[in-house]
Amino acid sequence: MSGRVATVRRVKKRQDTAAIPGTGRAGTGGTGTGGATSGAGTGGAGTGGATGRAGTGGGGAGERVTARRVQAGQRESRVAAGLSELERWLADQIGQGIAQARQTGPADWDDLARRLVDAQAPGVAGTVTRLSRVLGAEDWPSLLLGEYALLHLLAVAYRRAAALPEPLRQTVRARVGFPVTRESVLATPAVRDHWDVVGCREEEQDRLVARRVWLAGRTTGRPAMVLAFAPVGRPLDPFPAPGTTIDADLAFYPGASPLRALVAERRGAVDAGPPPGTKVSQVPASIAEVLAADPWTDSWPLVLAGAVPCLDGLADEEGNALPLHPSVGVPWRLLAVSGGRPLTVAAEWTPRGLRPLTAWDEEGRVVRL
Amino acid sequence: MTTGPSGGFPRPVTPPSDGSDRSRRTPGGVAPVPYAEAGPSAGSGTGAVRRGAAAEPTASWEELVSTALVGADRRAVPPESLLERAAEQVVRMRAGRRLSRGAPPAPAAAETLPLVSAAAADRLARMLAGEQSRLLTEWLETAAARRVRVPAEMIPELLDLGAGDRSIRAHLGAVTGARGRWLAGLNSAWAYLLEEPAHVPPGEVWELGTSGDRRAFLAGLRCRDPAAARELLERGWNAETPEDRAAFVTILADGLGMADEPFLEAALDDRRREVRQAAADLLTRLPRSRLARRMTARASRLVTRNGTGIRAEPPEGCDAAMERDGVRARPPAGMRTRGWWLQQVVAHTPLSFWPGHLGMPPDEIARARIGDWEREVRMGWTRAAILQRDTTWARALFVTEQLTDLLAVLPPEERSRRAAELVRSRPVDGQMVMMLGGVPRPWGRHLAKAVLKKIVETTRAQPWNAGELIRLAGERLDPATHEQAGEVPELAATLRFRFEMLKELA
Repeated sequence: MSGRVATVRRVKKRQDTAAIPGTGRAGTGGTGTGGATSGAGTGGAGTGGATGRAGTGGGGAGERVTARRVQAGQRESRVAAGLSELERWLADQIGQGIAQARQTGPADWDDLARRLVDAQAPGVAGTVTRLSRVLGAEDWPSLLLGEYALLHLLAVAYRRAAALPEPLRQTVRARVGFPVTRESVLATPAVRDHWDVVGCREEEQDRLVARRVWLAGRTTGRPAMVLAFAPVGRPLDPFPAPGTTIDADLAFYPGASPLRALVAERRGAVDAGPPPGTKVSQVPASIAEVLAADPWTDSWPLVLAGAVPCLDGLADEEGNALPLHPSVGVPWRLLAVSGGRPLTVAAEWTPRGLRPLTAWDEEGRVVRL
Repeated sequence: MTTGPSGGFPRPVTPPSDGSDRSRRTPGGVAPVPYAEAGPSAGSGTGAVRRGAAAEPTASWEELVSTALVGADRRAVPPESLLERAAEQVVRMRAGRRLSRGAPPAPAAAETLPLVSAAAADRLARMLAGEQSRLLTEWLETAAARRVRVPAEMIPELLDLGAGDRSIRAHLGAVTGARGRWLAGLNSAWAYLLEEPAHVPPGEVWELGTSGDRRAFLAGLRCRDPAAARELLERGWNAETPEDRAAFVTILADGLGMADEPFLEAALDDRRREVRQAAADLLTRLPRSRLARRMTARASRLVTRNGTGIRAEPPEGCDAAMERDGVRARPPAGMRTRGWWLQQVVAHTPLSFWPGHLGMPPDEIARARIGDWEREVRMGWTRAAILQRDTTWARALFVTEQLTDLLAVLPPEERSRRAAELVRSRPVDGQMVMMLGGVPRPWGRHLAKAVLKKIVETTRAQPWNAGELIRLAGERLDPATHEQAGEVPELAATLRFRFEMLKELA
């Protein structure tokens, strides 16, 4: 019993400092580690401490506003120092060569991630922690250089944030790990639509279960991702399963390719059938558009109509294909559902290929993959 | 989605300078990537970067990676500039990834069987996830008998299970339908499924069906018209594969008669041992067959009456004629060679020969002292009783040795009664569980009652000893009795699970 309390307390503390290395960039699309704050939010607790946004408080006394400003200012300079250290570290690595990264990388990255957490840049810390994932791949030098380059780009972008357009500046701050409060997101105009729940994945990271639910708007055509956290062993708030359609208002986190959202108001389920999808041949253009706005995007939901699963990809009837992520292997379940015929498939785009999420078979049955 | 200059990249990505590079990096037939120059709003801060990127020709990604591996310092490249160019390239590659060519498999055939009910499919999914997974075989067997198919997405997991467990393959052949066979054609680990019958409508099955379809077809025909089945076999016999030939011979067991004897006798000359063995096993069930007579002649010399007892003498050698009749020359590990030959001769001799030859009824023979080769001769009779499905002999032999295979020869009611006697007379041990393991579902009234009582006693006295028996009983007892098992919650839960499972599949 006492062990459990201790765990919870530790989690709470982490949420307050927004320092959850595991919950950073992967799959969060538009916003990165703001997840920490939202974790507190979805758990029903308060939004905790550091909001990083002085001046939004309003109601407090002048003193408190000043104190917050000071706090926010301190955080900015700590982050700035941490990221310029990151820039130097990256330059050193590239200067000396990364040939030894398979041996020395994991220890170096843990160390670096710890310093970035101390520097209050948990988003970047999370990205650094996950670098070891590339080492399993045969082309790891190429993947690692790509990751280093994007980290460098992020550090430079933060340094020059003042010159960036506002949405992009928000993207950069979110990826660095500045939290965004639930209240500030809910204060933005919400998007009402019939949202198809197209995918759901739960992952355990750092004693927390992170659940991503991907949605697609019927009328707006917008994708969205709702993130929720719970300590391991505690149930997450229920959310409609893939295959359902909900009439809801979604409020999006700010950013240049906004994806992460909160459900501002849920009006109920709609009986709508399989979601409309795009063609396989349209995917490269739409991904190019997403990346042009937010080059760090490494996850984006897609709903494909008329896709024929192959042993190593998703094709259209002309034979154009999108490759699958190497970790997927042969998508046997998806192949089984298709029987070699086209169907509607929701998948998560990643730079290394698609991860299938959900399929709608000939009879409109929904199959989670 | 935000696009255009204002939502752009923190610094402009310069288009690649040489044309060939460009054609490799940009998506084919897709609107150009909006890498337009960031407007003035990008500010002066990006100027330095732009100069850096534009100053040098665009290096290929491979060059960047190789420089990064050995170290930018060694190649006198500023690391920051390498990282900048790499960032530019990596985003360009990600955004410009072109469609590849896919090779979709040819579509699967249409299904002929209805899908199981949603409740049954749900339960199957739970069982695959680990709940009561020991009952999976019964689920599959029942679904196969009901001629329903499973939802497509569960087929891969089931086929993986079948790859490691032969006992469920025949059921899988039925319940995975056309989709299962289609998948088996795509994955060599699942190719075994093509050997299983799949409930395909007849017609051209014999000419065009899979091995499994053809076996099922032959079995059906044999059941309706034994002679027609044998004649069908004889027509194309030489063109069949050895595996099929062996399987086809086994199918003739149903409706076996002297009319099959010439065909089976000829099969003793088959090139493949499994075929010869299968033919020999069937011929021993025909006391008037040539093989039975040859074996009887051998046996009459080897096993003789000796006063009140029996004397056995193993053969001196295993000649070609014996081998042709299915006697294997090489013994399994740990067996005496001549004893092995003796056992096989006895096993392939019609049991009806012995009472006359030895002047004793079967139950006396089974109890008689034999001397040196007692074990081998008894094993031979046991094997013969199983092969020839002789209930009199099985009953007689079971008295001295409680082999579960002998129980299987007995009619269900008697089987249940004899197993029950055994359960009542002994404490629970590994041997009892193994014996009961050989008694198929459903355990008759007598056995069910005895086992339930034994379980209740054992859980009181030695709870640690009851687990395996409880699990086995859960699988074998009639699930309708779940309410009578209330004293043993684990057992009651399993039986209730089966009760509901069978109701869903009904």
